[in-house]
Amino acid sequence: MTEPAPTPSALAAALRLGRQGAAQLLNLGLLTARGALRTRRPPGELWRQLFEVGNRSLLFVMVTLGFIGMVLVFQTCLQINRVTGDLSQVGAEFVKILVHEFGPTLTALMLATRVGAGIAAEVGSMVVTEQVDALRMCGVEPVEYLLVPRFLATLLMTTVLSIFGITAALLLGALTAYQTFHVSFGVFLDFSKLHAGDILTFAVKCLAYGAATPIVSGFCGFRTHGGSEGVGWATTSAVVSSSFVVIVLDFLISALALLTWQAGG
Amino acid sequence: MKRGLRLLAALGGWVLDRCHEVGGMTLLCAYVGWSLLRGRLDGRELVRNLYKMGVVSVPIVALTALFTGGIMVIQSGIFVRRFQAYGLLGWGSGFAVFREVGPILIGLMFSGRVGANNAAELGTMVVTEQVDGLRALAIDPIPFLIVPRVLAMMLAMFCLLVLGDVIAIGGGMVFGRALLGVEFASFFASFADNVKLWDLMVGLIKGVFFGFAIAVTSCHFGLSVRGGAVGVGRAVNDAVVAAALTIMISDDILTLVLR
Repeated sequence: MTEPAPTPSALAAALRLGRQGAAQLLNLGLLTARGALRTRRPPGELWRQLFEVGNRSLLFVMVTLGFIGMVLVFQTCLQINRVTGDLSQVGAEFVKILVHEFGPTLTALMLATRVGAGIAAEVGSMVVTEQVDALRMCGVEPVEYLLVPRFLATLLMTTVLSIFGITAALLLGALTAYQTFHVSFGVFLDFSKLHAGDILTFAVKCLAYGAATPIVSGFCGFRTHGGSEGVGWATTSAVVSSSFVVIVLDFLISALALLTWQAGG
Repeated sequence: MKRGLRLLAALGGWVLDRCHEVGGMTLLCAYVGWSLLRGRLDGRELVRNLYKMGVVSVPIVALTALFTGGIMVIQSGIFVRRFQAYGLLGWGSGFAVFREVGPILIGLMFSGRVGANNAAELGTMVVTEQVDGLRALAIDPIPFLIVPRVLAMMLAMFCLLVLGDVIAIGGGMVFGRALLGVEFASFFASFADNVKLWDLMVGLIKGVFFGFAIAVTSCHFGLSVRGGAVGVGRAVNDAVVAAALTIMISDDILTLVLR
């Protein structure tokens, strides 16, 4: 039950493993990017993945983001009622923070659980049933065949689903504000504080999350070994790593935005 | 006509599937409650699960909390800078972390780390017929496997959330000073004056409930695995999706109940 204390050699081994993993991840990212630039890929596969990633996640993303929108508006109004009681600015600020922060990040977290886990589970079960080796035997590069369509689909669909999610959160948030705090829709849905900088942050975040999730989960999937237990492990680590990568990227991009293009507000 | 019927059939099938899942989880809750009432619980399994779910998740939760504190400071910082209200930074980020963002983000990470792992483990046990083996030895799998996991996840989530809140506030102080130039003392004063104990309690109650929800969803999907390695992967995927949905929806309800 108790883990042995890490000895220097164990630490060195862990470091070496970490370096190897980083190199493999970088390699996988480069392979995927190279494959994405080529135009030759299995016909129809991209459409199938776009459907799989986009249409199949739409309801999930809209429901979760809608509920988040309700909660955030409720909490903010409650707090402001306690301090000033002036609820006329809540809508404008909510629109702003939803577009540059909560919309893309929460959508990406939801996609990390839905799509990231799906990629790792699919690729992982193909690895353990030796279908990936069969592909390689046929002279097909598995990364290009399996991961590139998923990468392109997730890259595009993260942005699209974020827009849908933001719409759902806005509508349900406006409904909450109207129902509970009597803020009219016209006052709440105020886009005047939304600047070009917010849209830029939104776009950068969507692209970064959309690129990171499939690569990290694909990495976990291709590393699978050993039966159904291995597939379970791969899926778990895909969810954890891609969610964590989303949070770290959110922090980095937000900090960069605060220091540069969003410095004025 | 025929197309319409097919659409209706597909919709009905989807609704039936969802009812099947919700019903399965409700039954599982009832079994767990009944076992707890009769005091049937494997103590050693509970300790083992607490270690595996709580202690091992500390690094990922600590890192998530640190970045969460940073993100909240940055987001409050955009307002704070516009209104020159540096005294509100501690209040804004502390309140947001304690009540909403902390429980949700740590809950999602916990679901990914522990819930998915649990579904995979139970699924592998089902696929390799270990659960049937337990039944053959006249050991009821619910008190032996499920009840300790449910309790362990609720307890672990509570402890991890306390740790995560502390780290997030500490991270907020550090990043607030580095990025916005707010001194530690003024951050802490604003935090301590405005954030009530009740805010912390609301977050902790939410966290324990999320732990319960993650446990029930992951155990249900883990136990209903069919068909080898592919089935295990799909069960893990379904478990994390169901856990995320449950977290978001119950967060809404809990927020309305616990003002």
